[in-house]
Amino acid sequence: MPVAAPIVQVRELTKVFRQGEINVTALHRINLEIAAGEFLTLMGPSGSGKSTLLHIIAGIDRPTSGDCIVQERNIGALNESELADWRNQNVGFVFQTFNLIPVLSAFENVELPLLLTQLSARDRRRQVTTALELVGLSDRMKHLPRQLSGGQEQRVAIARALVTDPQLIVADEPTGNLDSHSAADVLDILRRLSRDARKTVIMVTHDPKAAAYGTRSIHLEKGELTN
Amino acid sequence: MTVSGFIIKNAFRNKRRAALCVLSVAMSLFLLVTLLVVLNEFTNPPEDAGASLRIAVRNKVSLANPLPVRQRAVIEKMAGIDGVTALTFFGGKYKNDENTFFAQFAMDPEKLTAVFGEAKMPADQLAAWIKDRTSVIVGYDTAQRYQLKIGDKFPLVGQIYPVDLDLTIAGIYRGTTDDRNVFFHQKYLDELLGDPGTVGMWWVKARSAEEVPGLIDRINAAFANTSAEVLAETERAFQMGFISMWANIKILIGSICSVVVFALVLVTASTMSMAVRERLRELSVLKALGFRRHELFAFILAESFGLAVVGLLLGGGGAWLLYNSLSASALTGGLFATLTVTPRILGTAALVATGLGVVSSLAPAWSIMRLSVVEGLKTLD
Ligand SMILES: Nc1ncnc2c1ncn2[C@@H]1O[C@H](COP(=O)(O)OP(=O)(O)O)[C@@H](O)[C@H]1O
Ligand SMILES: [Mg+2]
Repeated sequence: MPVAAPIVQVRELTKVFRQGEINVTALHRINLEIAAGEFLTLMGPSGSGKSTLLHIIAGIDRPTSGDCIVQERNIGALNESELADWRNQNVGFVFQTFNLIPVLSAFENVELPLLLTQLSARDRRRQVTTALELVGLSDRMKHLPRQLSGGQEQRVAIARALVTDPQLIVADEPTGNLDSHSAADVLDILRRLSRDARKTVIMVTHDPKAAAYGTRSIHLEKGELTN
Repeated sequence: MTVSGFIIKNAFRNKRRAALCVLSVAMSLFLLVTLLVVLNEFTNPPEDAGASLRIAVRNKVSLANPLPVRQRAVIEKMAGIDGVTALTFFGGKYKNDENTFFAQFAMDPEKLTAVFGEAKMPADQLAAWIKDRTSVIVGYDTAQRYQLKIGDKFPLVGQIYPVDLDLTIAGIYRGTTDDRNVFFHQKYLDELLGDPGTVGMWWVKARSAEEVPGLIDRINAAFANTSAEVLAETERAFQMGFISMWANIKILIGSICSVVVFALVLVTASTMSMAVRERLRELSVLKALGFRRHELFAFILAESFGLAVVGLLLGGGGAWLLYNSLSASALTGGLFATLTVTPRILGTAALVATGLGVVSSLAPAWSIMRLSVVEGLKTLD
């Protein structure tokens, strides 16, 4: 077990989706602790509830029952706007399909979360530049997403995720759309974030090679943890 | 990047659609302004400086019934008047012009300055007109339209009266709100008609605005219980009476305006709905990054507002420039003397544009309210 105090505590977490008359149990009484600085990989077959668990921990979905405590806050108890603030300050998102805003340059995409802060334009510029340097894209700041390769797009997305300096970085199959070379770049950056910057990284993946970058791996099967 | 920069980039991401939307807003607002201007010309005709001092006196039975010339002496003797002139609407055709858009009046030339002082022309032209019984003065707009100059023949073919006038131009005046009218001698008309002893109307100029109500009462009273009772009223009231004949046209124009506005709402609302629907995924991402619903809604509102305002500047501003720089009578074939885009009309257009911005963001606002990040992320690009 990790020595540090857990940054994420999931207790008896259950998520049921209602689809018309049918109830789909996506997560069933999950218990999980994640320590600060861990690089946790979440594996399991399609439909096993990986994304759902990630969404709840990241505060974009709510549990049906059970608690999800992140940094000692029960995020299920926050209202919509508190949760939005909390996400902005504490969570960085990386998606499978990059999800950059097509009309904004790499720099502007990374700057986006900072528009919600009180930072001056100068401070924003400094932070964005640092984040882009960290992912090795200082020379692509003015490029639009369509002028970048998939791997570069995903690195911009990682820069966007860490520009607010959040404790938690969640990534849902971040290498799913990438060739193996680009995937290795992305995974390397995520590993450095957890190892050097003490960020907690939670990554969903199908790929055992990707999972090997993590410090710990857990498996989901039909909404339950199997180890 | 600033938030407004972000909004602008979003608004023009689909350049063709944004341009089409702005264009349709612009064209509709241009049409709306045009209709309102026309409506305004019907409702509030332009007034001369002297209009508030002028009294129109007509036969109480109807405008078509003439007045006996003996009334002139009675009115002339009244206190508080600057002058009185006969004014008879001739209603003829100029040469063979089927659309004779200018009005022709017989009057007493030596009273022009006293009663219709706004009509300015060189003193020698005025003197020449007064002297020559068969001469005519022509408004500047009409002179322009037919390329007329002093000394030209100006034949008028009678339509109401069974006589044709063989006139010569003695002067060209300008300065009234309707520089199209032409004026000739009442005496000449009388002569051709064999001295019927009647005129169409009397027009009286009061010495001051305070005299007007009293004068109206005295004129009405003077001919009460005679064979030709009169109705004296202010110039404005007289013109409004004319205009009420156009009431149906006003209703028609009013309903076209409503349809224009309604169509405009549909166009912008559908543009904004499309713009938001194709961006639901991005909006979810923004939400995940920490943007709140009301912030996303503000983006959309600002965007639809922006489109509406650009449309307003193009359409409303375009109409304003156009109607203020072109000659209204040339543009409308003489139907209107002026086409004025009043501040009130521009205000109405601005109000419509504002309403448009708000209304067209209602449906998108509803989508944003219901948008869940997880659902939005699942939508495909
Ligand atoms: N919005 C939803 N409505 C209904 N069922 C859902 C919804 N989201 C996920 N599910 C169901 O929950 C289960 C887990 O989904 P998910 O967490 O996306 O799986 P994974 O990411 O492991 O592929 C699946 O059976 C899926 O069909
Ligand atoms: Mg998934």
